[in-house]
Order: sequence, then structure tokens, then C-alpha cells
Amino acid sequence: MTATITPSTADAPSDGRDGRRSSRPNGGARRRRPKVTAGGMASSVFLWLYAAISIAPLLLMVSNSLRTTQDMATQPLGLPLPPDFTSYQKAWITASFDTYFFNSIFVTVASVLLSTVVSLLAAYAFARTKSKLFTALEGLFLSGLMLPVYLAILPLFFLLDAAGMISNLWGLILVYGALGIPFSTFVLSSFFRQLPIELDEAARLDGAGPFQTFWRVHLPLVKPAIATVVVFRFVPVWNDFFYPLILIRDQDSYTLPVGITRFFGEYQTDWATLFAGLTLATIPLVVLFLLATKQIVSGLTAGMSK
Amino acid sequence: MSAITALKAPRRRGNTGIALSRRAGMVFVLPALILFAVFIAYPLFTALSYSFFGWTGILRGDFVGIENYVTLFTKLPYSEDIPNAFVHNILLFFGAMVFQNTVGLGLATLLHRLTRFKRFFQTMYTLPYLVSPLVIGYLWSLMLSPLFGPVNAVLRGIGLGELAQPWLGNPQTAIWVVVLVTAWQWIGFPVLLYGAALGGIPEEIDEAASLDGASAWQRFRSITLPMLVPAIGTVSVLTFIGAMEAFPIPYALGGSQGNPAGATDVLSLLFYRTAFESGSSNAIGTSSAIATLLFLFIFGISMLITMLLRRAERKLF
Amino acid sequence: MMRRRILTAAALLTGSALLLSACAPSASSGDEQASGDAVTLKVWSWRTEDVEAYNKIFDVFEKEHPNITVEFEAFQNTEYNQILTTGLAGSDGPDVPMVRAYGQLQPNIEAGQLEPIDGKVDGLDGIAPSVIAGAKGKADGKTYAVPLATQTLQMFYNKQIFEEQGLEVPTTWDEFIDVQEKLLAAGITPMALGAKDDWILPIFADIVGSARYGGSEFEEQVLSGETDFNDPDYVASLGIITEMEKYLTPDVVGVSYTDSQIQFSSGQAAQFPGGSFEIATFRNQAPDLEFGSYQVPVPDDAVLDAPVSPAYADGNFAINSKSTHQDEAVELLNWLATPEFGQLVADELNQFSAIPGVEYEDAAMQEAWSNYEDGQAPYLLLVDFRYGEPLGTAVLGQQVQKMFLGETDAAGAAAALQTGISQWFVPGE
Repeated sequence: MTATITPSTADAPSDGRDGRRSSRPNGGARRRRPKVTAGGMASSVFLWLYAAISIAPLLLMVSNSLRTTQDMATQPLGLPLPPDFTSYQKAWITASFDTYFFNSIFVTVASVLLSTVVSLLAAYAFARTKSKLFTALEGLFLSGLMLPVYLAILPLFFLLDAAGMISNLWGLILVYGALGIPFSTFVLSSFFRQLPIELDEAARLDGAGPFQTFWRVHLPLVKPAIATVVVFRFVPVWNDFFYPLILIRDQDSYTLPVGITRFFGEYQTDWATLFAGLTLATIPLVVLFLLATKQIVSGLTAGMSK
Repeated sequence: MSAITALKAPRRRGNTGIALSRRAGMVFVLPALILFAVFIAYPLFTALSYSFFGWTGILRGDFVGIENYVTLFTKLPYSEDIPNAFVHNILLFFGAMVFQNTVGLGLATLLHRLTRFKRFFQTMYTLPYLVSPLVIGYLWSLMLSPLFGPVNAVLRGIGLGELAQPWLGNPQTAIWVVVLVTAWQWIGFPVLLYGAALGGIPEEIDEAASLDGASAWQRFRSITLPMLVPAIGTVSVLTFIGAMEAFPIPYALGGSQGNPAGATDVLSLLFYRTAFESGSSNAIGTSSAIATLLFLFIFGISMLITMLLRRAERKLF
Repeated sequence: MMRRRILTAAALLTGSALLLSACAPSASSGDEQASGDAVTLKVWSWRTEDVEAYNKIFDVFEKEHPNITVEFEAFQNTEYNQILTTGLAGSDGPDVPMVRAYGQLQPNIEAGQLEPIDGKVDGLDGIAPSVIAGAKGKADGKTYAVPLATQTLQMFYNKQIFEEQGLEVPTTWDEFIDVQEKLLAAGITPMALGAKDDWILPIFADIVGSARYGGSEFEEQVLSGETDFNDPDYVASLGIITEMEKYLTPDVVGVSYTDSQIQFSSGQAAQFPGGSFEIATFRNQAPDLEFGSYQVPVPDDAVLDAPVSPAYADGNFAINSKSTHQDEAVELLNWLATPEFGQLVADELNQFSAIPGVEYEDAAMQEAWSNYEDGQAPYLLLVDFRYGEPLGTAVLGQQVQKMFLGETDAAGAAAALQTGISQWFVPGE
């Protein structure tokens, strides 16, 4: 089960399976055949080894979710034999997964959509203007990345409380949406900057306005960057329990991570149920990631070079 | 697409040109600006202003000027904890940078050449990022437990029993565990980003250089590296901010006091325990002062890094 | 032109947000209830592990008080202080929040977020002074809450291991050392201690050392300024920790608190120095484990001549001053101060109630309770030295880790503790 690695001195192969590569001019005759060399073997070992390190703790999580907490207490590293699924049942009920799941989906999707849309517009402007005002604004946005979450919660709480938006999912969406702006504009603007200015000139010659240029010419080119931003914003919002713990008082509006915090006790943590809950909560992220990697991975390069 | 490629080919210089008028630019920025102003800028600056007041629980008292800041540098525990924690934040940054730019870049380079299993590996490497960092911290402390942890068991199993040790109980190793776990969880981001940047290098250039007799290192130095600068820049800034703000992983690995004996203490932990675990009624004042200093430091350095990178980009292209 | 308009719009929006929030803290309008109607009291707590038990307990209350419904909600312990702070400050907060004891309660009291309950709640007189002290304002001396539980700190032991090794519960220091030596010789870890978690270490220090430094006698002296933590007796009590080191797991600083619980409950260690809050955990983790507890005997040269169990109050129920249901909240607090509730705390929560006159059916609990009644002492650093930064418990926890790591000794640790608390503690106040 060795991954095929081309020798380090060889040029990237273009086997035609990958649309990105086949569209690229290649060296034809000079291209060497991929073959397994000592270096290739070493790389393979490295890749597999690192993959093992990557998932070992997660396997532990899944494995322990199939055991009882008592079992874990006597044998911390035992195998889940036979697997015990009661934790999943318990997690589903105690954490009210059915309700919280939909709240989580709604909040995460809406807030990521919000932050991505406004950030795309702003990032485009940052990349396509040259003035002190915009540089300053970009700096200001970046400062939002350095916001210590625990610090700003108090004024944020009063703000939402005064607006009557405590326990309101839209309040949470606005907060997450705003919190996504710094990261999203930061990443997106660097992608917009990679796009040649000639694109804009050509579009203008064709009579397109600024928004049309943005919408028709630039947006398709930064699709992969959008996928990156979506994934890397989706995950922290999906996993966050701090803001909903403080900003949501109504149990019907809780999100999934808040439900999961119930398994963290003061002196005893219900590990089995906690791990079961986490495994369930992570599955949607894995699915999202698998869907998005196609965009990120095979297409990202298009946004950067073409 | 081909028309675009043709347009692009002659030069990369001048990418950041002006294509928007100020007015149009403002329209584009406005939605983000409003959202940002209301939900980030306002709470942030309000919270930072807290540091100039005396507090009684949640009641704001008199304006005290920089008294809270003076406290940080003259009174225990702050005067000892701040330098200690600060050094760990810096270690976290450099450790993560080294890890990402060696292991991360290495993985990205290998994956770039890979034809099969590419997405499989990318998914594997990104999986840790999908789980909340707090839980990742707990999982690693289970893995590293000197009594029951599989890490020591594996080391003993492969005859490296001498290396087995209480990873999180030894101040010398504990901080490196925090560094590595943090870098490990986040590695998917640099791998993807570097992979993208590598993929963006036109093969023609590399091939031409190769034909001209340039060595692998020369080609890396003068072709690959310059193309990676923007990606390295993005990763550096985000890593810096992440390292300075590190909270969940140190918290899960060493508790709010940065166990053992302050060896894993970082500034956010100091902020957390000052704000929420203290018996002092001026907790809000002191903790806001810590956060303000931290914020100013991160902001200053991030701006500096960004500026240097923009300059480097201009020079390299 | 257009730019100016946009900027104005942005400024207006931001401005109105500022205005809105400026008046935020005063917003206290809840939905008012007409008297006589059914009232719902919101009770908050950090005890996520006790949700089911509390629901049962409040069912009993609701039966006796049909006009009141109690809605119990538990939040993650580590975030609770922040949740409570915002909950008490804003609208829609709890009516009866569970609040921390001693020093960590003061910020809420000083900010006027809680109602004093002196004269409103009966049944507080019987509560031990060191326990009710955990519910009082340091500055005004008023009582603000009904204490929930007493935690006592003792040495838990595995009865089966003791039996197999032919060991008896030690009553003298020599017997105590003898027990440890025999266990060590038999290849059993004598004590499980999770020294990676700093907070358990001052607990350990008091379990083995309280009688040595003089328990409440020392407390009086140190509070009045007659002595301080550099006192030779206090230093000697910390010296016991070093003496105990060989009976703990090797590399004890690498062992986490949860690991140590597993060590004890799975029978890999014979004893566990800990608080009565462990009883519920052990019962859960290992229902078949037979364990008891004893007070660590008095070492030579000890100030006290009989062993003691250090104790402290853990958790209080208070009334949010913004609650629109003050009368009902007082009604609930009065019930929380009855032996009936105390008995439910014992039976359902496996905790020692702060209210006197409670029977403990669980053998381990009864044993620990009668030990405590035989000899009481305050858990000094928690009861008296958590009213400022740095917390006494935090300083000593870190110092004990340094002792285990060989970076300091008992005298150095005591000196660091004294320096730390001197930052805010003024004797005689």
C-alpha cells in the first residue's frame, strides 16, 4: 500500500486524470516515468507515519466512545470489545441532539455565509484600491483577529441584551458573522491580490462595472479560496461553546457544543458520552471537508496562478 | 481561461493595482465595516477601556489612569507570571513556525508530487483541526499519561523505553508538548495553503531552469520560495496571532495555572485566571490591562510582519 | 458626496449601538408575575453531573410548594463564573444562582448583585461557623447565601487491599508510616496523587499536615498576625510532603488528577488523599469498590494532639437582587436550609449537607462524617486565603510541584506562600 511518488527531481506528472494538470502545457518528452525509488519510499513512509500520528488521538476518541466510563476507569486503553453503543444513545438524548443539531446547522451556515459574503466584497476592495484609508481599514479588520474572546464578551453581552437579542439565534449569527470577517478578509484579500490587474482592465474595456467585474470575473477565480475560508470558519463556529453559553439562555436555542459541555463535570467527566457526542458532532465536519477539499485542493491553484 | 492565462503570463508585477475608485471601494467594504464596527470594534475598544478604571465586581468605579498597568509590572503574581508566560508564547510561535515550515512544507511538497492518495492524506492531516482544540488537548493528555498512556507504551514496545517519561510532568518537556500539539492540530492549514501555492508555480519556469542546469536547491531558492512567500506570510501572521492567543490547548494540557509549576503558562491563561478565578474585586480592571497589552503587542508585531512580507514580496518578484 | 453619506450612515449605526449598550446594565425588566399565579424560579449551578439528582430534589419542593416551579440548569464548571457574572448583570438571569464560597463570592456581593438574607431565612444558626463564613460578605459581615455542602478532606483507603495485606487503619504516626512501607514492599502504590493538577496539592498538604501546624489554632494566629506562614510548625507540616513523596507514584508531577482517580478506583493504589466529593465519583467509577476513610494520625512534635479533618463549604445558593420573584426565592432558600433538603443532599447528591441533623446511609459517607465530627479543622488556604490575587491555594499548589521537582524545599515553599498572600492580606483586619 505505497503511495506513488515521483522522484524528487522529476517534474510533476501530468497523467491526464486531473483536469488542472491536463490543462497545463507539459514537457512531453522530457517527462520521466514515475517510479518507486529509495527517496520515494522514504517519502511514502513519512506520509503514512504522519497520517498515523494525525489520527491516533481521534481513533482513541472513537474507540473510547464505544466503551463505558467504568470500563475506561479500570482499563484506560482497552479496546471496545464488544462495542457498546449506549453512549451514543445517551449523548443523543441528553444533549438533545435532534434540536441542537439543527440550531447548530442554522447558526453555522448562516454566519459563515454572512461573513464570507461581506468579506469577499471587502477583500476585493482591499486588493483593488490603493489608499491610506483602505490600508487603515484593512489593519483595523486584522485587529479583530487579535480579539481575546473572553475579554469582549461583557460589552457584547450588554449590547445584545440592550437590543433584546439574548437567546436569539440571529444575535449569535451576527456575532459569529462579524468574528469571521478578520480571518476571511485576510485570506481572501491575499488571493484577490494574486489576480492580475489586467483582468479588471479587460473587463472594463468590455464595459463591465465594478460589481460586474467582481461578480463575473473575480468570483469564479477565487472559488477555491472561498472553499478554504468556508471550511476554516465553519469549524471554529461549529465547535464553539463559549458564545452560546453566555449569549443563549433559552434551552431550545442551544447549539450542539453547549449540549456537549454538559458532560464535563466539576469532578467527574462522563468521558464515554462526551466522546460519543463529539464523534457525532465531528461527522458533519468531515463530510463538509471531504466535499470542500475537492475545491480547495485541485482548484486552489487555479486561483493563485491562472 | 486561456485568455486570462495569456494576460497573466508577461508579468506578476503590479498585481495590487488600482481598479476601484475610493467611492466604489467604500461600497464594497461597507457591509463588512458595519458588522465589524458593531460587533467587534465597539466591544473590543469598550473592553480595552475597562483597563483604565477601578472595579468592584461588575460595577465600574473611578478612572484610575494607568494604575492597573503599574500593578501588572510591580505586584506579584503578575510581575513574575507575565515574563514567564510571555516567553512561552514566544516559544509557541517559533516552535509552530519551525514545525509548519519544515514538516508542513515537507508534507505539502511530497503531496504535491503525489498522484494517488493525495486527498486521502490531505484529509488525514486536516482531521485534527476538525475537533475542538479543548478536546484535542484532553485526548493528548490521555495519550501522554505516564501511567496509562499509549505513547510511553509504544516507546517501550519498540525498545525506546528510556525515552518514556512523564511528558506533561516535566517542565522541560511539557512546554514542547504544548507547542507540538498546537502545531500538529493546525498543520492542515499550511499543508493546504502551501500545496496550493506550489501548484501555482508554472511548470514551464521550473523546467526551463532545470534545463539551464539549475540545481534542485537553486530552483527551490529562486523559483519555489518566492512563489511561496505570500502563503508563508499568511501562515506566519496567523500563526503569530494563534500563538499569542493560545488558550484551549494549554488549558487542557496544563490547567489554568500552567502546570507543572507554571511551565506551560501562557498569557491567555493568566488573563483567564485573573478575570475568572481571582478573589480580587478589581479582577476586570487588572485582566483588561493584561488583555490590552497583549492586544497591542500582537497588533504591532502582526503589522510589522505584514509590512516586511509585502516588502519581501516586492523585492522577490 | 456619496462617501460622506455612507460614513454618516455607518457612524449612525455604530452610534446607536453605543447608545443602546450604554444603558444596558440597568435593564432589569423581566416579565412581571401577578401574585398568586404560578411562578417559575430559575436555579443555576455548575454541577452538570448532578442535573438528574437536582430535578428529583426540586420535585419534592414543587410538591410542597405548588405555586412554584423550579427550573434547574447546570453550566460547565470552568465557564460558570463568567456565565454567572453576565447572568446576574443582564436581564433574563437566574432567580436563585448557585454561587462560589468565600473569596470568589465577594465580587458578586460587592457589586450588589445578591440580596442579603439575614433575618429572611431560618435555620442558618445551626450551621458551623467556618461553613457559614463561606456565604458571608467579607466587608459587611452579612449573610448572602445558604451553604449547600461541607467537604471534608481525609485519606481514603481500599478496604480489600488493606485486608489482603493484613493492614489496619493507622492510629499513630508510626503505624501510618508502617502501613506505607508495607504497601511499598508489597509492590502496591501506597497513595494515588495527581500532582500534575496543582489544586489537589494544598488539599494533600492539609490532609497530612493540618494537625502538625495546628489547624484552627494556627488559623487564629495567622489571621491576627501573631505568626505567619514562615512559622517553623507550618514549614514542618510542608516537610511531611517531602517525606510522603516515596509513597506516591514515581514522577508524581506527571500524574493527572483523573489518572490518580483511576489508579485508586481500579485498585492500583491503596489510598487516595482527597475530599469527600470523591465519594460520588468512586461510587460511579467502581460500584464494587469497598473503601473507607481515616484521618492521618498526628506526627511527632505536632501542635495538635489529635488528628483532624480539614473542611470547607462548597457551593451556596443565593438570591439575584434583580429577580422579580424575591418572595418565592426566599421561600426556596428557606427550604434549602431545612434538614429535609439536607437529607436529600446526602441521599441524592452523595454530599455532606451543611445543615446539621442529617443521616448518612452510605457507609463510606457515614465513616467520613464521623471522622470529621471527631476532629475539625479549616482547609486553611481555601477558607481564609482566597480573597485576593494571588490565591493562597494557587501559590502553594505550584510550590508543592516545585518541591516534587526538587526546585524548592519546605521553607522556600512556605516563604513563597507568605510573600504571595502578603500582596493583599493584612493581618488583624
